[in-house]
Amino acid sequence: MAESKLLVQGTPPPPLERELTVVGRPFNRRGAVERVTGQAKYSGDIRLPGMLYGMILRCPHPRARIVRIDTGQAQALPGVKAVLSKENTKGWRTQWYKVPQLAFPECITHEGQEVAAVAAEDITIAQRALELIDVEYEILTPMLDVEETMKNPPLPLVADEEYPGREIYDRKPYVIKRGDIQKGLAEADVVVEETYTTQASFHGTIQTRACVANWDGETLTVCDAIQGVWNSKEALGISLGIPPEKVRVVVKYLGGGFGSKAWSQRISFYAAKLSMVTGRPVRIERSRAEEFLAHPRRWDCKMYIQMGAKREGTLTAIYERALVNVGAAGLETNYYAMQIIWHTANLHACPNVYLEQIGVFTNLQINGPTRSPLNMPGIFALESHMDKMAEAIGMDPLEFRLKNCRDYAIVGSDAGEVPDATVIESEEEIPYSSKNLDECMRLATRAIGWEKRKSYRAARGGAKRRGIGMASYLTFQGVGLIPYTAYADVEIKHDGTITLFIGVVDIGGGQATIFPMIAAEELGVNPEDMTVVLGDTRDTRYGPSCQVSRVTAELGPAVLQAAAEARKRLFEVAAPILGARPEELQSKYGQVYVKSNPWRSVPLKTVCDKIDPEVPIRGGGARAPNPATPTFSIFGAQAVEVEVDIETGQVDILRIAAAHDFGRAINPKLCISQVQGGIEFGVGFALSEEGLYDPNTGKLLNKNFHQYKIPTALDMPQIDVFLVEAEDPYFAYSAKGAGENTNAPTPAAIRNAIYNATGIWFNDLPTTPDKIIGAIQNIKKGG
Amino acid sequence: MPASENLSGRRKQISLTVNGKSVTAEIDCRMTLAEFLREELGLTGTKVGCNRGECGSCTVIMDGKPVYSCTVLAVEAVGKKILTIEGLTDEEGKLHPLQEAFIEEDALQCGYCTPGMILSLIALLHRNPHPTEGDVRNAIDGNLCRCGSFSNIMKATLKTSEKMVEMERGK
Repeated sequence: MAESKLLVQGTPPPPLERELTVVGRPFNRRGAVERVTGQAKYSGDIRLPGMLYGMILRCPHPRARIVRIDTGQAQALPGVKAVLSKENTKGWRTQWYKVPQLAFPECITHEGQEVAAVAAEDITIAQRALELIDVEYEILTPMLDVEETMKNPPLPLVADEEYPGREIYDRKPYVIKRGDIQKGLAEADVVVEETYTTQASFHGTIQTRACVANWDGETLTVCDAIQGVWNSKEALGISLGIPPEKVRVVVKYLGGGFGSKAWSQRISFYAAKLSMVTGRPVRIERSRAEEFLAHPRRWDCKMYIQMGAKREGTLTAIYERALVNVGAAGLETNYYAMQIIWHTANLHACPNVYLEQIGVFTNLQINGPTRSPLNMPGIFALESHMDKMAEAIGMDPLEFRLKNCRDYAIVGSDAGEVPDATVIESEEEIPYSSKNLDECMRLATRAIGWEKRKSYRAARGGAKRRGIGMASYLTFQGVGLIPYTAYADVEIKHDGTITLFIGVVDIGGGQATIFPMIAAEELGVNPEDMTVVLGDTRDTRYGPSCQVSRVTAELGPAVLQAAAEARKRLFEVAAPILGARPEELQSKYGQVYVKSNPWRSVPLKTVCDKIDPEVPIRGGGARAPNPATPTFSIFGAQAVEVEVDIETGQVDILRIAAAHDFGRAINPKLCISQVQGGIEFGVGFALSEEGLYDPNTGKLLNKNFHQYKIPTALDMPQIDVFLVEAEDPYFAYSAKGAGENTNAPTPAAIRNAIYNATGIWFNDLPTTPDKIIGAIQNIKKGG
Repeated sequence: MPASENLSGRRKQISLTVNGKSVTAEIDCRMTLAEFLREELGLTGTKVGCNRGECGSCTVIMDGKPVYSCTVLAVEAVGKKILTIEGLTDEEGKLHPLQEAFIEEDALQCGYCTPGMILSLIALLHRNPHPTEGDVRNAIDGNLCRCGSFSNIMKATLKTSEKMVEMERGK
């Protein structure tokens, strides 16, 4: 028997040795009844007795110094219970994205930064209190545009002006290189260069962030809107100066995350502090405008690519220079110094690469995890360029990609972590644990009717023109680094209840559904026989935050191990009942039976009767960190058919075919929903979403859903999703993880389809109607 | 407005029907219907995602028509019949066929837009029991879903429409 490669600590569980009865089946989502009936309580729906309402005063300028702040009138307003500002919180630092920052600094570095927090008996009084706070600002000249900013030396800082991470990242090139870039360019038959820009974009979760903090003198309980309860527990403990074991974080339902709620954020710290000051529970809920202003969002990027290839289709060189607007803070977990270039390095085979990524600090909003944070901009540039390169050598873009598809990565470490070195020189070939990108590319293009590209191209003419395009992508999966080991626990009680305890949140991805499915499969019970406890640090051990599609990758093996251990103990109890040895037993559909004679069986409930009421059966699991090799990645390709109206500039997406390699889906129904959701993000990024700033003041102009245009039901096309499934022994039932990054290839696929329709390359996202009309008028003018 | 201003003069007594029950309350005139439902009646199934009539998560049905309850003042709802998501299940807690279809077709992920989405669609099915896919898309154009569940929402709605028509015929 082959040695088990499952990523767990200690002894890997034995193989199941029977057909699957739960995993791979499209069970309905857990918690759906509560959601469709309105019974689900999200953090903003929670009201505790004696609860106060908190609000935040935010600075309206991107860069300013507080000359004077007077909170006296606000404090005197009847009903106001506490006002916090820099005056009464000197030296208070909160731990945000693992880096301590002043909670209320004297010098403001981005619009919307917090200046004061109030707690009052009702929301109207709180609002009035904010109006009564008198602040005098000295407005300083902000840094906005990356290239303009780079023309000048870094600003001398005033007062306590802080740009956390600046000393590590600001203007510093991070480089991945391989082979000899000059040689590669010289060897090429054709060299193509182009510059791509992508815009600032926002999560737009429909739930605005809300939290209720309650300090009872002993313990701080925070019902929050966050994707990770355990990382938030740590952050809250450090921020408030209390031991983490005295902090309990609870998230029962979450109204969308997409990275925006990766950690406890500042409102959680202010709410907690206000509760500790007043001795009463405090709720803070952000408005939609605050959501746009105070959310770490996606960076705007500019990527220059120079690519060389032989006429027969072999890539010889890729040079890339990526500039990233970091905003006012770039910390360990909200800026990824090599994320764009990691993807460029690994997606296609190329012997000579020189890739550099430069982050520049400005006074725009804080940045942070946003569904495929830098992957989507990076993949947009690379996959747009691949099409242009293919065109230049006269090759079909699909064939060109297939020709340069390879089975190894050249940079294996997670580009999301702080890199050890600023330059990675790699001549390595690190194998992937599994990869089926070529199959994804073939499937997606076949489904869209790839051969129509030629006729569409030939038929360019008339007002409405159709086109087809494709793009591919990859994403790194899982980390599991100590001390952030994912744990899972299973408990089987005398009364027959089986409970899975996991320290993660169901953010809408179906985490509450798929982990009990893994445990149920191992135990041989039906999923509905399992209870799951999640989203609460009180009852669970550490689990990762639901971001980077990591929980299935990181927690899956731990859940499997915990359930397998519980099954082993259960079989020890069942063995005497069935007159067999434990290793001769098997279970499924809630029955324990003898492998050699399945008719000799006993219901699992009957076995539970024999469990000591005082000593339930317990099984625990712990995930092992990713090894240095192989590399774990998911892959995929999307193909898009569009219709472009060249008179109005309107792009209608007619159809999208998406084929993804996630290993295997634990629950294909929920997995397909994730792909569709990612594509919505990709469609918005490609065509309509864009954070607009006043170029003089640096203020965000479109802080609402009317002007920040996320796709609606009318914009979303029919989407055909294909799961390309294959074994990957490192993960629970080969589930490598899915979800977050399914938006990554969408914008390039749409852009390449627009080219097929119009013969025009659009390199600046979003491709809005005015850009299309402008480009067509240019051509008419002979420009 | 000075901070000390007594707001009680701005209060008003209102009576309306919510989920089939008559409700009377004395409220601040500035209160929206959404705030009234959530804060005064505790009906938190009505969500507020933007508070300015853009996202649709606060949709309720007022006298048969879907409205954004964040842009209706509670005092405007006097004498009206309001249906919220809590009123959609019957007294035994049996789900409406559309709710069942949402679950079966996985027409939700985080679920935050779901109550408003369902109520917009219920209003559609009432005024048009045989909607086309285009009708369904138009009916929820004012309901944003960031999880991107639209295609499953289409499926669930069209399936429910067929089912409800069959149930009608069966009577």
